[in-house]
Amino acid sequence: MTMLLMIVPIVVGIWVVATLESWVSTGRFRPGRPLAAAVAMLGQESLVPRRPDRILFEIAPPILLAAGIAATTVLPLAAEVIVIDLATGGLFVNAAWVYVVVALIMAGWGPNGAYAMVAGWRFLAQLIAYAMLTVMPITAVAMRAESLSTTAIVESQASGTWNVITQPLGFVLFWLAAMAVAFLPPFDHPVAPTELAGGVTAEYTGVRLAIFRLGRLTLILTLAAAVVVFYLGGWLGPWLPASAWTAVKTLTVVAAMLWLGRWVPRVRSEHLMAWSWKLGIPLALVNILWVGVTLWAVDR
Amino acid sequence: MSALEQNALLAAFVASTIGLVTVLHLLARAIGRSQDEPAKDVPFEGGTLQPKPVWVRYHFRYYALALLFLAFDMEMAFMYPWAVVYRELGLVALLDMGVFLAILFLGILYGWSERGIGRQ
Repeated sequence: MTMLLMIVPIVVGIWVVATLESWVSTGRFRPGRPLAAAVAMLGQESLVPRRPDRILFEIAPPILLAAGIAATTVLPLAAEVIVIDLATGGLFVNAAWVYVVVALIMAGWGPNGAYAMVAGWRFLAQLIAYAMLTVMPITAVAMRAESLSTTAIVESQASGTWNVITQPLGFVLFWLAAMAVAFLPPFDHPVAPTELAGGVTAEYTGVRLAIFRLGRLTLILTLAAAVVVFYLGGWLGPWLPASAWTAVKTLTVVAAMLWLGRWVPRVRSEHLMAWSWKLGIPLALVNILWVGVTLWAVDR
Repeated sequence: MSALEQNALLAAFVASTIGLVTVLHLLARAIGRSQDEPAKDVPFEGGTLQPKPVWVRYHFRYYALALLFLAFDMEMAFMYPWAVVYRELGLVALLDMGVFLAILFLGILYGWSERGIGRQ
């Protein structure tokens, strides 16, 4: 079962992402910290707020985790090292990411707390802003590959240049949208520590918070892996073995995403929506047009 | 791998999530349980419990944009198959889709002119 061996890099990846996140937020590099934090969270009391919507409150963190895990299954580590090489992989990752908004609205609604609910609905506004900017750049990538399969998309970049060179506009838009999907700063509306006291995570403690955080770490990993697969040539690269290239690129993208957020103030919710629709979507359409014309010129 | 096997594997991965969550809950319960103490379960908000549920108190000020979003979300259903066959069809496909997208884009411009983009 080589497919099941994919679980090992996923777990290691989550651990590295957690270490990087704590390094970025505390300024100290402590590889043992994620494990210690996990044990501490399991030992912490996991409270249920008074008069909650109990079902939504309980299933929101597992849904976030399941969304992340489902997205990992279609992202390749190397040519044959992938859990499921779906013909519709590029569409499937999107379908998995859409469950993030479901999970966060449930987590916002469930505890019957004001901060959590405002944060949950703000994430729906954020979805309206970022959703088109994840799907439209993927469309342009699929145009070049003539397939939605993630392995075919990487192989389409083997001859010639990576998509980041041929579709720079799509790369930037997809990168920003990926940060918004994982609600990383500056798009951290649903958790907004300084503004909504933790937002959807305000009422979660103990093991439920641990599951929520695990789900988010998985999500960050899948988004960075998707950036690598769609734009940075996946496992392609000289000297190193293929899977090492994927790992190095993915973790570099994760580090860059986490690091970038430190330097930008949180974007206001309505500004995010306005910029996304007035600037982002027109640029995404220009990107599709650009890719269409350049592909036509190449194929002629 | 056949399509059936692929779907079975996918279902197994998602089902294993449920298993993992259950194991974590059992571990946490083995370590310790939470104690019942007064006012511990009050949701975080100024220290008092709201008399009514908070669920009624949010105004969706982005409903116009949400409607516009639905139109674009539907459009993506056409874009994916089109993107896969684009290189076979060539520039004609770009023109076809260009007309479709131009009509949709008029929707954005209309929404923009009516101040539908942003908070109402």
